[in-house]
Amino acid sequence: MKKNIKNLSVFVCICTVITLLLAVTNSITAPIIEKNQNASANAALLEVMPNGSGFETVDKSSYTLPATVTEVWKETSGGGYVVKLVTSGYGSDMVIMCGVGADGVVTGAKCISSNETLGKEKTYGESFAGKDSAAVDATDIISGATKTTEAYKNAVKDALNTAIILGGGDVDIRTEEQILQDNLTAALPTGEGTFEKLFLVEDIDVSDSIYVATNGAGYVFVIGDTFIGVDADGTILADGVENAEAITAAVALIQSTTLEEIDLSAYPDLQKTVVSAKKTSTGNFVIETKGAGYGIKGGDEYHPASGEYIIVRVSINPDGKIIDCLTVYEAETDGLGDACASESFYGQFDGKTEENYTEIDAISKATMTTKGYIQAIERAFAAFNILNGGEQ
Amino acid sequence: MSKNKSLSVLTNGILKENPVLVLILGTCPTLATTTKVTDALGMGLAALVVLLCSNVFISLLRKIIPETMRIPCYIVIIAGFVTIVKMLIQAFLPDLYSSLGVYLDLITVNCIILGRAEMFAGKNSVAASALDGIGMGTGFTLALFAMATVREVFGAASFAGISIPFMEAYKIEFLSKAPGGLLVYGLLIALVYAVTKGKAPHKVSFSCAGCDHRDTCKIETCSKKEAQA
Amino acid sequence: MEQMKILLIILFSAVFVDNYVLSRFLGICPFLGVSKKFDQASGMGIAVTVVMLIATAVTWPIQYFVLNALNMGYLQNIVFILVIATLVQILEMLLRKLSPALYKGLGVYLPLITTNCAVLGVTINNIIDGYSFAESMVSSLGCGLGFLLAMVLFSGLRSRINESNIPTPFRGLAVTLIAASFISLVFMGFSGIVENIFG
Repeated sequence: MKKNIKNLSVFVCICTVITLLLAVTNSITAPIIEKNQNASANAALLEVMPNGSGFETVDKSSYTLPATVTEVWKETSGGGYVVKLVTSGYGSDMVIMCGVGADGVVTGAKCISSNETLGKEKTYGESFAGKDSAAVDATDIISGATKTTEAYKNAVKDALNTAIILGGGDVDIRTEEQILQDNLTAALPTGEGTFEKLFLVEDIDVSDSIYVATNGAGYVFVIGDTFIGVDADGTILADGVENAEAITAAVALIQSTTLEEIDLSAYPDLQKTVVSAKKTSTGNFVIETKGAGYGIKGGDEYHPASGEYIIVRVSINPDGKIIDCLTVYEAETDGLGDACASESFYGQFDGKTEENYTEIDAISKATMTTKGYIQAIERAFAAFNILNGGEQ
Repeated sequence: MSKNKSLSVLTNGILKENPVLVLILGTCPTLATTTKVTDALGMGLAALVVLLCSNVFISLLRKIIPETMRIPCYIVIIAGFVTIVKMLIQAFLPDLYSSLGVYLDLITVNCIILGRAEMFAGKNSVAASALDGIGMGTGFTLALFAMATVREVFGAASFAGISIPFMEAYKIEFLSKAPGGLLVYGLLIALVYAVTKGKAPHKVSFSCAGCDHRDTCKIETCSKKEAQA
Repeated sequence: MEQMKILLIILFSAVFVDNYVLSRFLGICPFLGVSKKFDQASGMGIAVTVVMLIATAVTWPIQYFVLNALNMGYLQNIVFILVIATLVQILEMLLRKLSPALYKGLGVYLPLITTNCAVLGVTINNIIDGYSFAESMVSSLGCGLGFLLAMVLFSGLRSRINESNIPTPFRGLAVTLIAASFISLVFMGFSGIVENIFG
């Protein structure tokens, strides 16, 4: 026992001596190590702001900054800011460092981490150096790496806005969608920013587009830059609206229209191409059809391994004119074919008839997707002819 | 200690009992840190310093350290010096620190160091232990240097970071990857055997004879083999 | 779900892509030493896996709740190696008392593990990589399983080598290392796979 205590005390002594030695070494090396680490951390900042002399972290919690901003450093001599942003590119996150000089010009941008497939983000940042906000806007997106470069460009814009906000300026950092929702809410406050674009099943030409509040508060008619709110009872909230009667009538029409599902089992020819078909109480048709997306090689069988169908919803009036068109489902290539889900593409079919529906601008670099989309519209017209003819 | 004897203690580790190529100890860093000559030299010298310090320290304390507690004591001393060396490298050679990474910490469990503490420093004078540490450390460094030279010159067409233009077209990138390390190590061991014509104590296999743990090891085959030997 | 995916990626990379033995060279001594027979190889592999898991479960809280709290990160190396050595001792004594059969199978390998760089390596790496406790445990499990896999595969190969006629200078360790190099080459093929499976 006594021997054990002696052995243990020797061991404890050795431990103590070694710990003391370590503590002494640590007290000497720790400040140097910290200095080294600061220097290497600054090296990353210096890469995007070569003239910077020193940097300090900015507490971003006291500002409202774009959502992509994760960290901000201030150049200590007032030379501007370095902003670290995380943005999603083509299926993965990119971490971007962007320096903005005191004059609002990008001093440099660099992607420090990404998983992008094409690697365009590695050099794309160089194209921003020396540009101000307007010049950044005008920077070209690299085709074939649209998503990646667009996200990069937006991140640089966010960095520029961040610098303005930190400098005490006021910038609109809302996205287009937020701006739209804000405008709609201003016209119909009870809608509370829950608006969706209304898919029209009736010919209504008093406005460019109609939004419906998903909480049932009413509608907003958009005519040019004017937003006209109409509550659920059909009361127009704005004063002095020119075509107030037409709007009230339109709301009444929207509310009174009922849809009746057409039983497709009576039409074996349509079952392969038509997803669903409905008829309105006013005699219009709402038809959803499938078109072969990119990767489907002919035929109408569903091949999940080789691509997916595009599903399109169109409403057609009894004269055979498309009232409205909408992409219900697509799984096309990101940055290329997926443009078929944007209104700028499918909006082209509004007002088209069987004679001229192919006269639209194709999606660039996505010929197969465009073809598949037109196939879906063609099938909608075919279904319309059968269903409409059947009624007569 | 006669001059002759101290010389032989010093050179033993470099040639006859080279820890890496003959005694086959410290295989992890030999394989892991030999893709670049600079890394290999850094690792070799770091291990040399640790080996020298721990040998001296343990030899100094060899009469105080109780027999039953010696392994934990050795481990604490070695781990302490490893941390000191690590902190110094981190402070003054940050580039080397980032390329060696966790392998610096793993000097603690490098069999060479505990092996020398157990086999030499715990039984010999301070001066002899210091010489042994220097000799073994130099042998380790030279072996790593040789491995790294082969792997960097033929695998990456450069030497200590300086590129060798005429090798560029002939480089075998596989050598600077993990399997290349194992291959070059195997070839070097065979080469040492062929050059010394088997005079160096050639291990038929990685048997218990050279194992540091043979005193503590309870695998029955070990004790049987020892009995046979 | 996202968390699950991260854990799976850590596990599979540790077993196949960043295999501790074949690509990081940690634990190469027992890999070369105790891989002659299948039962030895598997026993050693399982023992290492168990010790790695227990060691991580103990060292991770020590690092975060003791060393970091006291601002004594520089004691990491000493504390970890002592913890591992103590754990191995306790485990050996427990096994001998509680399950002599298991002790015969695994216990004999335990003393060899104290200075196994794979165990110290995995505990330190978990800290360096900033893994959470769950991630650390999964990474240790992966490293242990990767070690076991490499050992078992290699033991099969070695029994073939023993029966072959090999040029004298290559006999023994040299040919063993060259064979290990080929296994390592096979594992190189796994890189990139994990990301594509889970990505």
